[in-house]
Amino acid sequence: MTVLQTENLCYTYSPGMPFEHTALHDISIGFEQGELTAIIGHTGSGKSTLVQHLNGLLKPASGRVLLNGEDIWADPKNIRNIRFRVGMVFQYPEHQLFEDTVEKDIAFGPRNMGLSEEEIDQRVKEAAEFVGLSASLLKKSPFDLSGGEKRRTAIAGVMAMRPEVLILDEPTAGLDPHGRDLILEQIDRYRRKNGTTVLLVSHSMEDVARIADKVLVMQHSRVAMYDTAPRVFDRAAELEEMGLSVPAVTRIFSQLADKGIADHDAVYTLEQAEQAAVALLKEKGVTVC
Amino acid sequence: MLTDITIGQYFPAPSLLHRLDPRMKLILTVLWIAMVFVPKNWFGLLLAVAFLVLCIALSGLPGRLIFKSIRPILPLILFTSILNIFYVSGGRLLFSWWIFKVHTGGLITAAFIGIRIICLIIGSSLLTYTTSPTALTDALERLLSPLKVLHLQVHELAMMMTIALRFIPTLIEETDKIMSAQKARGADFESGGLMKRVKAMIPILIPLFVSAFRRAYELATAMECRCYQGGEGRTRMKQLHLARRDYLSLAVSLAVLALLIVMNILIDPVL
Repeated sequence: MTVLQTENLCYTYSPGMPFEHTALHDISIGFEQGELTAIIGHTGSGKSTLVQHLNGLLKPASGRVLLNGEDIWADPKNIRNIRFRVGMVFQYPEHQLFEDTVEKDIAFGPRNMGLSEEEIDQRVKEAAEFVGLSASLLKKSPFDLSGGEKRRTAIAGVMAMRPEVLILDEPTAGLDPHGRDLILEQIDRYRRKNGTTVLLVSHSMEDVARIADKVLVMQHSRVAMYDTAPRVFDRAAELEEMGLSVPAVTRIFSQLADKGIADHDAVYTLEQAEQAAVALLKEKGVTVC
Repeated sequence: MLTDITIGQYFPAPSLLHRLDPRMKLILTVLWIAMVFVPKNWFGLLLAVAFLVLCIALSGLPGRLIFKSIRPILPLILFTSILNIFYVSGGRLLFSWWIFKVHTGGLITAAFIGIRIICLIIGSSLLTYTTSPTALTDALERLLSPLKVLHLQVHELAMMMTIALRFIPTLIEETDKIMSAQKARGADFESGGLMKRVKAMIPILIPLFVSAFRRAYELATAMECRCYQGGEGRTRMKQLHLARRDYLSLAVSLAVLALLIVMNILIDPVL
């Protein structure tokens, strides 16, 4: 089932000014219930502008955004409710923390929804657990946390609203490998448990290959590709032409295939690479322990 | 949106006004202020307006932009003009009701002051539209440098101004981002009474201050890493040179000012 959909979406920044610039050009796509879609593309390709339309932070110049088949701008007064249903985690979300305790900051969204105190409390605990924040941290000031903890606090703040669609704009940017693995794992677990549709803007092809069901490639304000992750990564040459890359392991195996050493198998993640390498070595008669 | 603010914004274009030396433009702006306040009769004011129109034409800026610069202060202009209508007596009494009396003198003064303020704003926004902030502070530093004799820290002042100007767009962008992020969490800035609205600003102001301080520390460290020690013995990458067009524009402006003074002597003032 298509949860979120855009129809001929167009948007222009500063129309009529010397700095005028078209950010979205006739975008018509749909996102399926429960799927994790990664959005990739160059800086300035329109990714961030696109996702900001999906929860009504930007109003389309023309075209529509449909949530469960209904135009989100049908009643502009209702746009706040749309934002609760389509949760959005911005780039460097830790820069938005402001409360004196982590707990209160996570509760900001649910409180704006007008929920009861018990409900808020329960949601805060649940969200904190999802992102792996221990109970002792909840009473601390968010400004005393480490970078990764701050980031997870901010993500929990959006998860606590229990959105139907969760959008994350580069959630792993600027984190160390451990913090990055942790966040990706938590996002994946969260959506598997709640059946949430997730959109993930990312620059890291490794991250994308690991958790995305589908990949949306944006270029020059348009949709360049939109397909399942393996099918998009199969078009490595096109991606590279756009200045994007495929995961490092995919590159290695496609070069091996070019040299006639390996079959042109789809290899996108480290686990797949390991299996493929072991199989290849066995085939050549090398014993692998 | 916050990005609609145009005061102090620079609009690059290949015009004569853009190419003038920023120091000369600053001096010309001061001269322009004199030109606006010297005329005491309609002909003088007309000449000043004509001179302004010429400058706008030479700046190559779209007319919409010029209008945009006066829009935020229109209420102020209206307020002063209306006040003048009722306060200034002189001339014939046109209209009287309760304590309100309108004289022809009041109407004339109101029109005069309104035109003067509009001219003043447009003239000074021409300066900021055609001069990049860095060029402007550079010019200011040079023009103020004689004050070093009085132990005024001219370079430091100019540097502070440069940094402040440099960070206005950055902070506006940051504010926009934080507002979007809080809106995404259901923050509501548009409804409710005054107290509620003031309270609604807290989730924006705190992150904004935190980030402003973070940026300030980063900038200070970066400057120290590059051995910045203030103005002592510092040379410049961009040297300013006065060209023929600069002297020419000064000559024209002085001529107009002189003409205005002559007109004041020859023509009777409106009041």
